[in-house]
Amino acid sequence: MTEQNKHTIYGKDGKPTVDRPWIFRTYAGHTNVWATNALYKDNLSKGQTGLSIAMDLATQCGYSSDHPIAKPEIGKVGVPINTLDDFHVLFEGIPLEEMNTSMTINGTAMWLLSLYVALAEERGVEVSQLRGTTQNDLIKEYLARGTYIFPPEDSMRLIVDMYEYSLHNIPSWNASNICSYHLQEAGATPVQELAFALVTSITILDAIKERDCFNEEEFERCVGRISFFVNAGMRFVEEVSKMRAFCEMWDEITQERYGVKNAKYRRFRYGVQVNSLGLTAEQPENNAWRILIETLGVTLSRKARCRALQLPAWNEALSLPRPWDQQWSLRIQQILAYETDLLEYPDILEGSVVIESKVKELKEQAYTEINQVLELGGGVEAVKSGYMKSALVSSQSKRMGRLANGEQIVVGKNKWVEGLPSPLVNDGDGGIFMVDAKAAQKTLEALEETKRTRDDARVKAALVRLEEEAKSDNNLMEASIECAKARVTTGEWSETLRNVFGEYRPPTGVDGQNMSIKEDNASLVSVRAKIDTFIKTYGYRPRIVVGKPGLDGHSNGAEMISVAAKHAGFDVIYFGIRLSSVDIVQSALEENVDVIGVSLLSGSHNEIMTQLFEELDKNGAKDAIPVILGGIIPEPDHVGLKEQGVKRIFTPKDFDPMTVMGEIMDVINEQKSK
Amino acid sequence: MSKNQNRFDAMMTPELRDMIARAKHLEKWPLARLISLFETNTEQAKQDRHSVMSSLKGSAKNGLILGITGTPGAGKSSLIGELCLSLLAEKPELNIAVLAVDPSSQRSGGALLGDRTRTNFPINDKRLFFRSQASDLDLGGVGKKTYQVTRLLRQLFDIIIIETVGIGQSEIEVEQLSDHTCLVLQPLAGDQVQFMKAGIMEVPDTFIINKCDEDSLAKRSYHLLKTSLKLVNVSLNKHNENSKSVFLTSATKQKGIDELTHFLLQLESDSSVRKDRQTQEYFYLGKWIQQEFGRFGLTLFNQSVKTALTSQQSYEEKENTLFEMMKKMIPSLSR
Repeated sequence: MTEQNKHTIYGKDGKPTVDRPWIFRTYAGHTNVWATNALYKDNLSKGQTGLSIAMDLATQCGYSSDHPIAKPEIGKVGVPINTLDDFHVLFEGIPLEEMNTSMTINGTAMWLLSLYVALAEERGVEVSQLRGTTQNDLIKEYLARGTYIFPPEDSMRLIVDMYEYSLHNIPSWNASNICSYHLQEAGATPVQELAFALVTSITILDAIKERDCFNEEEFERCVGRISFFVNAGMRFVEEVSKMRAFCEMWDEITQERYGVKNAKYRRFRYGVQVNSLGLTAEQPENNAWRILIETLGVTLSRKARCRALQLPAWNEALSLPRPWDQQWSLRIQQILAYETDLLEYPDILEGSVVIESKVKELKEQAYTEINQVLELGGGVEAVKSGYMKSALVSSQSKRMGRLANGEQIVVGKNKWVEGLPSPLVNDGDGGIFMVDAKAAQKTLEALEETKRTRDDARVKAALVRLEEEAKSDNNLMEASIECAKARVTTGEWSETLRNVFGEYRPPTGVDGQNMSIKEDNASLVSVRAKIDTFIKTYGYRPRIVVGKPGLDGHSNGAEMISVAAKHAGFDVIYFGIRLSSVDIVQSALEENVDVIGVSLLSGSHNEIMTQLFEELDKNGAKDAIPVILGGIIPEPDHVGLKEQGVKRIFTPKDFDPMTVMGEIMDVINEQKSK
Repeated sequence: MSKNQNRFDAMMTPELRDMIARAKHLEKWPLARLISLFETNTEQAKQDRHSVMSSLKGSAKNGLILGITGTPGAGKSSLIGELCLSLLAEKPELNIAVLAVDPSSQRSGGALLGDRTRTNFPINDKRLFFRSQASDLDLGGVGKKTYQVTRLLRQLFDIIIIETVGIGQSEIEVEQLSDHTCLVLQPLAGDQVQFMKAGIMEVPDTFIINKCDEDSLAKRSYHLLKTSLKLVNVSLNKHNENSKSVFLTSATKQKGIDELTHFLLQLESDSSVRKDRQTQEYFYLGKWIQQEFGRFGLTLFNQSVKTALTSQQSYEEKENTLFEMMKKMIPSLSR
């Protein structure tokens, strides 16, 4: 045998080898099941082996497409799924037994897994052959993403039901996938990301232990099925240290807390989507470089390298990406994996005293935070008490403050903002991905057809059984699979469980928050002066209601606007997420506010603003209460929205919260002087 | 307040007249705008308040003002949400208003009012009205603005629930304002000890231990409370004259809600459970005088000036009378 050197990877046979690249993934799904099926087949024909399914918000929140709250959302951020018939179309011509199918689904995860199992059974595919993942991490939904439905205890029960069912029937299925991704998007620091994700996994494993449904060997396998979905931002040295800390901590926790003996089941398996939060709407071409740098954090260290990677598109801060934008991001991965020599070396960071010390510090701080949450009673209690949510809102407020104060430099945003105009944003389609309105009609017709032709008695019996078993301690999977086969709809399944478990609203985390903006900040001084003048003139403090209409649960923007408005000196009524236009208008009327602030990121702004103005008009308040809009609102839509009556539109470009507040005061004063 | 007028115009703008007429039918926006008048610090608003109160005379109700207070995290908002629905289910002809008061920031004067996220009220139901209010910088959470709004609300609603965050002093304030005060506690949270230290335990009329999701937890909490109260000579024994009631509830598990609902309905229908409105009025007038003229003003108010007021006068007229009298005593005010 030849002498081995330290810079070469050797295989089991002792011969030099190189690593295979991670899995290149594209999160996809839109319009309707026919369009998405065609897209998948196209991707598969190009050599892709796994599917990553994006569902629309109605499917994620448990509403069928024919529900009023669902209509503006049909096919917008993913594919709408109403019944098993939709799944038959979605997977038409796709061999289930060969697929690794990942579904970004949480509140209705059990339902989507039931549909998948029912589909396999109807097609005659052996269920045990299925492979894939349901995201199913409800804790991060309460904290950051907002597609929860049921109270935390009931959600945990559904998760454990799925682990139990999967381990016995679909051994290669990951019943849930713990996401720190969304925590970072919501403002989490690396320590919070480590701590809260690991707390989530501890909460799930503790619940599984408590159920006592596995023997020791089964429990070890179950631990081995826990996988993670992680974020990586611009500070790539810290990020690579974070990933190494994750691997070490998971190994320690599974060994010490759960006594897992087999090292294979203690491996930290993770996929990645790199950070979108730091991508800018200003000089958006710079985002291409940012995405590349963020990729380094999760690929550089061999020991802590991701299993699968999906990248955002350069223009995400402007609108939903088009296929070309996604292709450009895919190319970054291919260039890194195939043109560079990264995959030819063992871990290049091994032995670095700097990295080692950084990892140690992150681990210590994260363990302190984990113990703090466990002392509070664990993940479920820390959701219910708002502890974790407050911590995230606080971190995000600090980040906003640092940007506004210029303490954190973002090129093109708060430094070197002058530049030549970008030729990339002047395309004919304005960079927007449009969903065809007729496509939604096809979805509604298919739903109608299924409802017309199904066996009503079987539907009724299946739903009664679901309700009964939900009230008992039985595992719900079998009853749920029967619902799928009976052609129950997404809305009916969810409604039945809503009636048993109730609907949950977690703490918002905004209470008592402050923004760390310097008292002498020019825009802060200016807005406070405006508010003082207002109070002297009108005898009360200006009032604003802030809320998110529709099903989009990314509440960051709305939370930051609320905290900022309080900091400026407004009385802020924060109304939270998942509201109808009627909810928002009623709150504005009851609270007699001076302005309505609405935040939207799902691309459904045109439909939802139309509903909102109709409702205001119905109450005779259309010209009396001005409306402002914030979120990812593509430039070409601005004119139409303003014609409808929106007074100001704020996008990610408006990063200085106090400048935004000043403009809101201008809107109020314009209204008052009418 | 240099341009003070002793009399108010009998004339009302047609806009205000229309607002009042529609508010009487509990239409949301007109009612909300009237409430704003009671929170606004201008001469015009004061004049309008006088007009509103005068035109409501006669037709008005005398609603039960129920103070519900407790530490953050005791689950007050969710409990109030459940209670409102339960009260309406039991007695559908009721009208209920909720006034949720949250503290203002000492730094900016602004406030973040988040209680609305925790209620689950049906849409467009005139029987339920929800309003958020910032405490301003009034110590104790509720103050003049809250009192002013209750003056209006109790004319229009059968039950007015004032929700406040209790951190000591505010229990005493909310008690002043309310016909009946409930203190919401978390099971076994040790709040009791804090409240005893602050001398708060004597204040509430009723205790509610919320979040009693399990029976054993409820029982242990009940006994802990009973023992704590003994130390301050408060009895929970029903046969005792000064005894106070305790309710064990769980908003999520729907426990104890029915009992509490029936208890509140009893309070609502019992006209003796109403504080003397004139005493309340004098309390807030006294507070205002003290704010404007210090202890000197308050002494005068208590000794002699009070006698100049008549029961026919509206609150606003009383304010003006008092101000005129103070002006005579402190000539520099007239300049």
